[in-house]
Amino acid sequence: MLHAAQIWLVAVIEAHSPVATLMRTHWAWPIAESLHFLGLCLLIGAIGSFDLRLLDVARRVPIAAMHRLVPWGILGFAINASTGLLFVLTEPDQYIYNPSFHFKLLALGIAGVNAGLFYLTSYRQVFGASPALDAPRRAKVIALVSLTAWMTVIVCGRMLTFYRPGDCVGERGVLLTCTPR
Amino acid sequence: MLDSFLVWLESTPLSQWVVGSDSMFAFPGILALHAIGMGLAAGLAAVLDLRILGVARGVPLTEFRRFQPVLWGGFWLNAVSGVLLLVGYPTKALTNPVFYLKLLLIAVAMVLFVRIDRLIRRGDPAAAPAARRLRRLAITSLVCWAGAITAGRLLAYTYHRLRA
Repeated sequence: MLHAAQIWLVAVIEAHSPVATLMRTHWAWPIAESLHFLGLCLLIGAIGSFDLRLLDVARRVPIAAMHRLVPWGILGFAINASTGLLFVLTEPDQYIYNPSFHFKLLALGIAGVNAGLFYLTSYRQVFGASPALDAPRRAKVIALVSLTAWMTVIVCGRMLTFYRPGDCVGERGVLLTCTPR
Repeated sequence: MLDSFLVWLESTPLSQWVVGSDSMFAFPGILALHAIGMGLAAGLAAVLDLRILGVARGVPLTEFRRFQPVLWGGFWLNAVSGVLLLVGYPTKALTNPVFYLKLLLIAVAMVLFVRIDRLIRRGDPAAAPAARRLRRLAITSLVCWAGAITAGRLLAYTYHRLRA
């Protein structure tokens, strides 16, 4: 079932991609890649240092003050979601059949749910009327999961090149990891 | 002279392991570490620069120094992984002017970081003359890191010779 969905998605993108022509011009792809790296640094710098603060680095800094960096991490994420989408909309088969891309999406999903959990479980302790200087224990677990998830996203992203899907030879599995012919 | 050095370097076991090994810890793993080190070093430097330029004013600059070991950790991780990548493909990097531009920009960015830190340590970074100097250094630092990262990415598109 998932195989059919993947094949359908690749076919739809290949037939209707609004950006493929632009992305195949000489410098568009390298420029988008450079932006993807700049966004990565912004995201890791802002979210990573906030996570480290939750884990007691620079513990005299109020957590709410440190949280002012988070919008810059979200800006980095927005840059990377946009440029990442450009790549997928240009060479869909290279991503949608790529096992490294599947793991990258999984790690991104975990990072997203994990960030949501932070606000759901720790908002009052961290941003309330009498905020604690020491983050609650569950916030520390969340910070650790966040750091691990983002590092996994980077590693999987870097590994995409080395797990490019080849031609299918009787492939079985939950997700298709080769290009059907 | 350079050519015979490149031929020799590419013939060393370490170079052949980096390039030729099927292990995911060879070339792919080193590249992945290089990306993580980049995120830590350039990311934390950028966040320090943003703080100087007025973001998250509630965070005292002197307290921000606590994140420095992470920045240095990223820097040294990339110095080591970068040397390994260079040993793997010396001709590709050393015959490309963009590679020297990248190294220069990183060197300038790190010197700026050390100077920014010295100003912060000297105390009262909010005093007017120091604050203006800090802002100038922070803007230059951001430009250097963005340039270094872009140059690094473009290495894959601008090289003339892959191997000696």
